[in-house]
Amino acid sequence: MTKYFKSLLLAVVVALSLPFAAFADSIKIGFNAPLTGFAAADGNSALVGAELAVEQVNSAGGISGKQLELVIYDDQASPKESAPLAVKLITQDNVAAGISGSYSGATRAAATIYQENSVPYISAYAVHPDITRAGDYVFRTSFVGEVQGRAGAKLIGEMMGHKRVVMITLNNDFGKSLANGFKEKAADFGIEIVNEYEYSIKDREFGAIVSKAKSDEPDAIYASGYFFTAGPLVRQLRAAGIEVPVIGQEGYDSQKFIEIAGPDAEGVIITTSLDRDSADAVTQDFISGFEAKAGYPSDMVAASAHTAVLVMADALARAADDSAAALREAIAGANVMASTGQISFNALGEVQKDVQIQIVKDGNWRHYAVISDTELLAPPAE
Amino acid sequence: MLAIELVIQGIVQGAIYALIALGLVLVYGLLRILHVAHAALYTLGAYIGVIIVNHGGHIIVATAVAMVAVGFVGVGVYRFAYKPLLDKPPLIALIASIGMFIAAEEIYRIIFGAYGMSFEQPPLQQQIELFKGFHLSTARISVVFLSILFIGVLGWLAASTRTGIAWRATVSDAGMAASFGVNIEKVRYINFFIGSALAALAGVMVALLNNLVEPTMGAVPAYKALAIIVLGGLGSVRGTLVASIALGIIESFGTIYLGHVMDRDAIAFTFLIIVLMIRPQGLLTRR
Repeated sequence: MTKYFKSLLLAVVVALSLPFAAFADSIKIGFNAPLTGFAAADGNSALVGAELAVEQVNSAGGISGKQLELVIYDDQASPKESAPLAVKLITQDNVAAGISGSYSGATRAAATIYQENSVPYISAYAVHPDITRAGDYVFRTSFVGEVQGRAGAKLIGEMMGHKRVVMITLNNDFGKSLANGFKEKAADFGIEIVNEYEYSIKDREFGAIVSKAKSDEPDAIYASGYFFTAGPLVRQLRAAGIEVPVIGQEGYDSQKFIEIAGPDAEGVIITTSLDRDSADAVTQDFISGFEAKAGYPSDMVAASAHTAVLVMADALARAADDSAAALREAIAGANVMASTGQISFNALGEVQKDVQIQIVKDGNWRHYAVISDTELLAPPAE
Repeated sequence: MLAIELVIQGIVQGAIYALIALGLVLVYGLLRILHVAHAALYTLGAYIGVIIVNHGGHIIVATAVAMVAVGFVGVGVYRFAYKPLLDKPPLIALIASIGMFIAAEEIYRIIFGAYGMSFEQPPLQQQIELFKGFHLSTARISVVFLSILFIGVLGWLAASTRTGIAWRATVSDAGMAASFGVNIEKVRYINFFIGSALAALAGVMVALLNNLVEPTMGAVPAYKALAIIVLGGLGSVRGTLVASIALGIIESFGTIYLGHVMDRDAIAFTFLIIVLMIRPQGLLTRR
């Protein structure tokens, strides 16, 4: 009896919900980010950035009259969480597309599932090269690590003219891919890599590496990491009397880095995708909008998530019809000005845009230079 | 010269390990509970220290308040979490402990924010040149100095005071100690108070070194301190101290010379495995 009752109930529910799904006045976009756990800081920033973009799109009239709606899940930066969440988003929440505001491991796992179901998916800031290789429904609006590593080599060797470099590499996919890109181009820009040291994402204590790096007497230090590792690292490097320039990447790109490293942050230079001094209105709207919404200054992950949502919204507006295939086509043909620059994709779904160089000046990230060398910054195409 | 620097860096790290592991070994010695949540008290100490300094408190006041406050929290953990479980198998207490640790991380995140906290004006950052070209911040020197001071005082207490003797008697045979009129409950409370206060001290010290206090900062000490007390021969205070310093120094050299092959934790656990293969009873304990 209960069995039949359940089936009946299910049928009623499905029948009732179908018309609503068909005539829904909102377009759902799945959003997975680490809202708890070790990466919660980045995840929450990314979420605020994405929500800001949704508010901006909706207040400007939405997508042909329909409102954008984020369906948000916490993936704890773990593939174990993100994979079932992707299934849930696609099969139960019926999202039109997905956006990852998460790290590489979680994003890779989800990307495979989006691809299998032919639902478009944009990775906002995860760096692993295999993410877009999941297939043609997966895109990335941020740089792969290699591209930024190459930009770092040009910055240090050519633009700053430093030749003896010590590398301090975070031993995860982010740090390793940055290091690969850096090493690939180091010789071209006359850089001699004196030594490379590795550390794990859990390390905050770099006494040994700092002592050894000092004895190497480098002209500059290329150190990969996130603000929560780079802050303590820079502080400890300076505390040991190492005065040479420290060059980082987008992982540093947060006001929190400056807070942790304090006065020692001054003069630190990074490659990233957000230009605080950009004259562009989209970027400036993002920077002021984010600070008003979040209560703290904008960072790279927030800008990246904001960018991914804007790219998605633009594609939804341009898509020929409501099908996933049409949306995919529209994303692939994107040419959007977003908070992290002019966004377009190559055949693999990798972004092609300029690398921004920022420097810490008077306790804030400021413009230092920009690299637009398309050959150097060419993302992987297959 | 580099070798000396690496040894000194290792001792600084080892001193922090010692402060954390000591509380753990005290609890294990007394109750045979693996007190994983101890690392959450270390994090709490760090937060209290940073908050007090950022509100204008002196670092010495902040450290003292953190130690006392966390000491009482530690007593509370015993009273409300472990005490009701004492007649249950030790596994239950371990599970409770792990649960408390995970819950604490998320509570800190909700209360203090996911981004962590830093000193606005970090104290004790003056540089002292120990020898030519080797600078050490006052904070680093303080870590070693305070560890020696507190552990020394603790050793003296255990050896020469009535409470210390009662404590040692309870560790070796609780039933016998009780029959001689030792107040076992009191010993346990003191035990948790001291162990937790030392963890808080370690937390404040680490905050000074890194200028970053995060909800998850206890994750590494939580399991590394377990490795250390195993290395020291479960229950041996002296063994724990030696293991802490040894591990600090080995990690210091390891990150430089083995860093490409394995990370800091892998080095620590390889060392643990090797030691246990040669000396299953721990570094100092006799069979």
